[in-house]
Amino acid sequence: MELERYRRNLPEISPAQQDVLAEKHVLIVGCGGLGGYIIEALARAGAGHLRLMDGDTFKESDLNRQLLASSMNLGRPKTLAARQRVLAVNSLVEVEESPYFLSVENAAEALAGCHLAIDALDNVPSRLLLAEACAKAGLPMLHGAVGAWYGQAALLPPGSKLLERVYPAHCRGLESAEKMAMLAPVVMQVAALQASLALRFLLGDEQPADLLWHLDMERGSLEKISF
Amino acid sequence: MIIVNTQEHPWHEGMTVQVLLDEKGYIFRHIIVRVNDEYVAEEDWARRMIRDGDDVVVLHLTAGG
Repeated sequence: MELERYRRNLPEISPAQQDVLAEKHVLIVGCGGLGGYIIEALARAGAGHLRLMDGDTFKESDLNRQLLASSMNLGRPKTLAARQRVLAVNSLVEVEESPYFLSVENAAEALAGCHLAIDALDNVPSRLLLAEACAKAGLPMLHGAVGAWYGQAALLPPGSKLLERVYPAHCRGLESAEKMAMLAPVVMQVAALQASLALRFLLGDEQPADLLWHLDMERGSLEKISF
Repeated sequence: MIIVNTQEHPWHEGMTVQVLLDEKGYIFRHIIVRVNDEYVAEEDWARRMIRDGDDVVVLHLTAGG
């Protein structure tokens, strides 16, 4: 373990736990708003192996909220910018780029060898696809979504039907990030919640299944809802 | 008294889902409502009565990332 690099993780993450974290493989699907901050947090904390998946490039409308969006990065692949950022802040992390959008064809390969898949996607159908792939692979999925002053996160055990309940059939055409306001501080909060849940899971913390964290910054509340 | 998103909320006669949403100030355009594990469609909010002791979940539905 690199003691000095991780000194301020102590005592919440012990040296032995730091070694455990260094062995973990995490797939992050989506390297935009949520994904950028999640990747930053996991890399700094010392998650050892990050697989970054996104087929998108940065555009000007990403600048209001996405950590990795900058004038220099406009037009560049999000996975490339994310990889460079990770290596700049923690060169001990092994980074694998997968510059593709999640699909039925590539989902199983994307999940191979991972301990956790993180949903930082921007639409419902892709989330349901990821959940289905995680069920087949027997992997947990860490869901997150954000819009306007609201957001949500949940750690889903393999085969969980939580997303089908949260997004009932008539809501699956819900407008994506393209149309709903996406505010930097709310994106940061949901990403921070996801990163915290991810770290606790990777370190072996038992967490209740199908518990939905519901953030409402219109009123300033964070609720844990059995759903 | 009813429960709304794990918090207690005073109940009164004539409380419909819409009345409750108005009292809570939930005006987001993408909301789903569940009363005692039963979804209530938006077109039914004005007539679906809330009973004393009901457990209500109101989610502000988001999909961005």
